[in-house]
Amino acid sequence: MPPPARKLSAVLEAALQLALFLIFAAIAGLVFLRYFFGAGVVGANEGATIVFVYASSLGAALAAGRDEHIRVEFLTERLGERGRRSAHALSLFLVGALNVVLVERGIEWIRVTGGYLMPATQLTRIAAQISVPLGCGLAALYCFARLAETARGGRGGP
Amino acid sequence: MIALLFASLLLLIAIGAPIAYALGLSALLYFLVDDPQLLLVLPQRLFSGFDSYALISLPLFILMGQTMNAARITARLIDCSLLFVGRFRGGLGLVNVLASMLFGGISGSSASDTASIGSVLIPEMARRGYPRPFAAGITVASATMGMIIPPSIPMVLYAVTAQQSVGRLFLGGVFPGLLVGVLQLGLTSVFARRRDYPREETPRGLRYAARELGRSLPVLCMPVFVVGAVVLGMATATESAALGVFYALLVGLAVTRALTAAAFRACLLEAALTSAKIMLIIAMSQAYIWVLALERVPQAVADAVAALGLGAAGTLLLIDLIVLAAGTIIDVSPAILLLTPVFLPALEQAGVSPILFGVLLVSGLAVGACTPPVGTCLNVGAAVSGLGIGAIFRGAAPFLAANVATLLLLTLFPDLALWLPNLLME
Repeated sequence: MPPPARKLSAVLEAALQLALFLIFAAIAGLVFLRYFFGAGVVGANEGATIVFVYASSLGAALAAGRDEHIRVEFLTERLGERGRRSAHALSLFLVGALNVVLVERGIEWIRVTGGYLMPATQLTRIAAQISVPLGCGLAALYCFARLAETARGGRGGP
Repeated sequence: MIALLFASLLLLIAIGAPIAYALGLSALLYFLVDDPQLLLVLPQRLFSGFDSYALISLPLFILMGQTMNAARITARLIDCSLLFVGRFRGGLGLVNVLASMLFGGISGSSASDTASIGSVLIPEMARRGYPRPFAAGITVASATMGMIIPPSIPMVLYAVTAQQSVGRLFLGGVFPGLLVGVLQLGLTSVFARRRDYPREETPRGLRYAARELGRSLPVLCMPVFVVGAVVLGMATATESAALGVFYALLVGLAVTRALTAAAFRACLLEAALTSAKIMLIIAMSQAYIWVLALERVPQAVADAVAALGLGAAGTLLLIDLIVLAAGTIIDVSPAILLLTPVFLPALEQAGVSPILFGVLLVSGLAVGACTPPVGTCLNVGAAVSGLGIGAIFRGAAPFLAANVATLLLLTLFPDLALWLPNLLME
């Protein structure tokens, strides 16, 4: 991976750690508030869900960069080095292409539906929806960076 | 069009594309061929897959298990198991199964069970004269209980997919999980007698037993606390998972005092990444399942199964076979996400409880986690033991008979899964 991609991964790792900690703190905090003070925070569950959407989207992109997504490898393992490399490159290209389509269609989808308000937080839905093109865009970047590395003869991994 | 959908998915999986993206690419191909205007469905389905409050429990349950692991509870569970079964012939084998049973109630994940218990017990069993494939095999096979005994991450996934109560599914997994454990303990005893495996010297006396139990009690109480909170209606599954993380932090900081800030940060990252990988499969499968529904595949499967006229038990037996076969070639999470919407309508039509199907599905797929070529536990076991997956599978196969027997008993006696949830949650 080129140095900018490594830096990006470090930023995403820190963001994921923070996001999950926030989710945990928010949900556990709400339970304690409910049982000890009989109180709640309006929009906290919706807020936690928005953070979760970002954590999932960005985490999926980071997993693509680390080549950690769940896959079935027993067939490609039977191919020779060249065949394995070709299959890997094809897979990276297709995944990158899918992510590009998702970014392009995602922006169109947000343009149509992003103006509606979320019921509790009263934020526009775009605040959460933007996570989809963001995550897919990052995943596409990772895929094409790894594809370039594979073409140069490297592993194409992190 | 359906042929294109299935063929493209199989081809993409065969070339090693990640399963999540293979699902998305197949759906994309379908839209491009059938109606490119439907492409807007893709980001919408992806987002709706991520946008779920109930699924927040997924990273939190994973974090709970990781934190307990980082708190080094494994040694306590093994010591506690030694206390109960160490003195019998084949003591370490029995300890392996019992520790997995206890660990299963804490981690919710078979892979982490295999790694934690295996890294301690496989070398120790080998040192005490057990063949390594036997030691690795029993570790891998007993780890399957992690998926069945609550809290179980696959059960949460099924509950959300099938829109069922997490609490009922957790309770549904209690007896089948314990049954697998008891049968595996029995099998271990039989092998130990035949092969003259050693007993372990453990200190006796009430004082020692009380001290060991006291050391393990805070750890052992965790599943009761987490599952109890859901079953008693004190918290939702998501809230109980967050409370579980809080409990694990308390255990790590105040009881074992082994949890460091760096270790917890590593747990946060690992849990977030593991969850994101599953979430992407969920999200992409939303688009794929949307297409299946558009093509009326679940209805076609339901009609085909009804036409066979097998009745509830016969249908379940057929489903068992399909689940076992699917488990050998596809990982647990995608299998749950794909099989549930396809088979659940057929089973409901045949009068089968969705809770029973969930328990059967997870129990059947747990076997797949230990069978080549796509056995997650086998791969973890290979990494821990240094053996090939073939050797480990040969060691695990006799113990997996316990899982298959449990599956069969569940099919014939559904109350094994349904009695407890019906008793406590109605």
